[in-house]
Amino acid sequence: MKREKVFEAQNVEIKFNLRGKTLTAVRGASIDLYQGETLAIVGESGCGKSVFAKSFLGVLDKNGWVSGGHMLLDGVDIAQYKTEKEWLKIRGKKIAMVFQDPMTSLNPVKTIGEQIREVIAWHFGTDKEASKQQAIELLYQVGIDNAEARYKQYPHEFSGGMRQRVVIATAIACRPKILICDEPTTALDVTVQAQILQLIKKLQQDLNMSVIYITHDLGVVASVADRVAVMYAGQIVEYGLVNEIFKDARHPYTEALLLSLPQLAVKGSDLQSIKGSPPNLYKEIKGDAFAPRNPDAMKIDYEIEPPFFKVTDTHYAKTWLLHEQARGYVKELSKKQEERVKATPEVDSGSSEKGVLVSLRNVTVDFKLGRKKFSAVKDVTFDIYRGETFSLVGESGSGKTTIGKAIMKICHTSGGDIFYKGKNINKKLSGAELTRFRRQVQMIFQDPMASLNERAKVDYIISEGLYNFRLFTDEQERKRKVAEAMRSVGLSNEHATRFPHEFSGGQRQRIGIARSVVVEPEFIIADEPVSALDVSIRAQVINLLNQLKKDKGLTYLFIAHDLSVVRFISDRIAVMYKGRIVELAGSEELFAHPLHPYTIALLQAAPIPDPDIEREKRVIAYDPSVHDYVTDKPFWAEVAPGHFVWANSHEMAMYEERLAKLK
Amino acid sequence: MEARQVTDFHCLPDDLFTRADFREDLVEETGFSDYSYWGSTIRTFFKSPFVKVTVVAVLALVTFTIIFPYISDADPYKVSLSVKDWNQPPSEEHPFGTDGVGRDIWARVWYGTRTSLVLAGIVAVLEVGIGVIVGAIWGYYKQLDTLMFGIYNTITNIPSTIYLVLIAYVMKPSILTIIIALVSSGWIREARWFRNRILALREADYNVASTCLKTPVTRIVSRNIVPHIMSLIIMDAALTIPASIGSEVFLSYIGLGIPAEMVTLGNLVNQGRSAFLVYPYQMLFPTAILCVITVSFYIIGNKFADASDPRNHV
Repeated sequence: MKREKVFEAQNVEIKFNLRGKTLTAVRGASIDLYQGETLAIVGESGCGKSVFAKSFLGVLDKNGWVSGGHMLLDGVDIAQYKTEKEWLKIRGKKIAMVFQDPMTSLNPVKTIGEQIREVIAWHFGTDKEASKQQAIELLYQVGIDNAEARYKQYPHEFSGGMRQRVVIATAIACRPKILICDEPTTALDVTVQAQILQLIKKLQQDLNMSVIYITHDLGVVASVADRVAVMYAGQIVEYGLVNEIFKDARHPYTEALLLSLPQLAVKGSDLQSIKGSPPNLYKEIKGDAFAPRNPDAMKIDYEIEPPFFKVTDTHYAKTWLLHEQARGYVKELSKKQEERVKATPEVDSGSSEKGVLVSLRNVTVDFKLGRKKFSAVKDVTFDIYRGETFSLVGESGSGKTTIGKAIMKICHTSGGDIFYKGKNINKKLSGAELTRFRRQVQMIFQDPMASLNERAKVDYIISEGLYNFRLFTDEQERKRKVAEAMRSVGLSNEHATRFPHEFSGGQRQRIGIARSVVVEPEFIIADEPVSALDVSIRAQVINLLNQLKKDKGLTYLFIAHDLSVVRFISDRIAVMYKGRIVELAGSEELFAHPLHPYTIALLQAAPIPDPDIEREKRVIAYDPSVHDYVTDKPFWAEVAPGHFVWANSHEMAMYEERLAKLK
Repeated sequence: MEARQVTDFHCLPDDLFTRADFREDLVEETGFSDYSYWGSTIRTFFKSPFVKVTVVAVLALVTFTIIFPYISDADPYKVSLSVKDWNQPPSEEHPFGTDGVGRDIWARVWYGTRTSLVLAGIVAVLEVGIGVIVGAIWGYYKQLDTLMFGIYNTITNIPSTIYLVLIAYVMKPSILTIIIALVSSGWIREARWFRNRILALREADYNVASTCLKTPVTRIVSRNIVPHIMSLIIMDAALTIPASIGSEVFLSYIGLGIPAEMVTLGNLVNQGRSAFLVYPYQMLFPTAILCVITVSFYIIGNKFADASDPRNHV
């Protein structure tokens, strides 16, 4: 299968001027792109993948420039382009780009039809009527129904997924040969993500485009890519066909990245995590950039930068492990790896005592939106047992965070009762009662960048609870407690005198966890604690949460949208849809026997980092109109022990039958 | 190092292909940003040479007005009885000339600037100080909205001129009167402005986290919020100074400000106006100094506002 090469980047080097210093964001990266194929560039944030792709279009930020290398498109070196005029010859026409956040790439004060029409008219000089017709066709092509009517609507009238469809329509308006998708689905929910990925696949075939995906999500890569390039610290470290990367990774970074995925891990054991964070690109990097984070690095990795070694004709990796002199060391490593696999972890089967710690009864939360009232949480009832990890899963806007906040007493409720240790807390508590409650229940936040006070030292941030609850007798005891909390999250004590901005995202999240655990709570609400973190760092934080649970006997309410993490960490899972819990079951039970159609759609849509499984998969979209609730009213009931579902009596009978058949 | 740059990778020392020590400390060190808010703000602020010049000019001017009484024996109040000393044009002895009763305008301008700056400084500190405190309370207690918006609308809807004139008229003209007149109309605007800032900040995750830890509101404001808006407070104070000087000049100009026998920039402009047609320099010199002060403070305030915005920290 010899295909024509449509684009080639050779040894591209990109520099940025930032606050008086120069940093090298891309350090000699090369890729080839063939006709009609999909290439995925994978890497963690800050590895330069976005910058690399942006340079193909000449849309780097003002303080950045391409300082070396070539980019060949149709035999022309576009790296030499200087003026906007030159770039306009290829931008949109030959190479087009889809960005992460659809809202920022659309003009909010123009109708979406007009925005697409303009692109067509501007590039081809077609007249108004003809270009409008084309724009409507494009809208149909990207799967927007009733395009004539929607042509006249504004971006805010579209949902996130629909907006991304519009952005894709503008990108393909000029029939580009290459479509670059920069994290096109990161801002979207899993079910919508699956649809968008399918759409891009379909368009690629219809228009015979080559697609470059830039993503950090290995699940997405497995489902879409033909070839994969793994990027680290501004360099491509390994590239090959998708199966070669997923089944036979050679670079220690690629291996570590795959191993840190919760999908592949054994529950109850620690995730394989990569220590530390990606290197600072201000400094000159010597040798293999990944070496400091690789516990199995060789001496040579610190000395000389490895060249690319060939694994197969299509698979190359930039690591000394493939050198002939490293054979002995590789053998030694694989022996160790085998031992590690053999030593299967003892799976402790959760807690033995099953006392109820938190229980919600018919909790409802209404919000007023202008004059309209809308319920973020509808009539929710569940129990959380002592010592378990209870997860709430759902799309954005399903009300899962609102429930967390309501339990935390930082959000009003419109009805229902919340019991903590048997006492109703969903009312005004006296000062002393509230103090006791606050000490026992803590929260971990999603965004580590926003959840720490930038103007206070880490020492103060962690001590905040100690001051408030007067948990120390003298200064020395306070210092000791802070040091202990920092050690428990894997930070050294000397970090206490620093300000939060000196830490990376993963470290900041750990500081946030230390702030919560220092007051020795019993119950922690973790609101998407890992969704803002990179894959490798995510594993660090998940391990830490599990460790703390074991050491301190904590109970978690874990709020998340990422099913793989949820499955790995939780004992029981509740699935939420539009403010209502539609299904609740033990974690393995839910994954094995999902009943509610929404749960099934959600499980189906979650990408799995295995190209073979992912290729076979068909996406099922959940359509709420399958339920006929007009006469037969739905209710909340237990279909099997511990397995609850929201259904009417007809559906309930169906579910019971299905469960009986499966078991 | 050059010797290590091997191009032939076939014969490397075998020793290099053995395990290296894993250094835990190195791992945690990598990758943090060296960004510091204040460092970046000040660097961005002083990046433009124009700002440097303005800051130096303002500093020089302020220092000069402070030390002027000590380095010069010129008396701004000394009246001459001899006609030949009246309405003198600028000369070596009197760089800005003399006024209708033979007083040295050079000395009067610097003494006037001093009074005006002190007055503006006090007003700025009071307005911003009251504004921050009231704004913080207002921002944290929603039930105050009705009352505070009532006050805000009342004070801001009446043209401030009328208001200032009334207060100055009721009370005896003095420095205190001016301060009360300016602060009593200015504080509410500052309070509203800070309330909006605080409203935007109080829902930030790190403040919610403090609430979850039951940190008292006073400490949330003093440790979490005020440090975050410190740059805005500084900028606001810098912008209040020229505005207060302007108001003082206006009030003195219409004769309701500071008693005519005291030297302030307002009084100087007012007195120079009467002789403007015959001896224009008597008004031009104080006005020029006034312009330099107000314009430079505006520039500094605005440039600082730009510099304190993290989006400009590139």
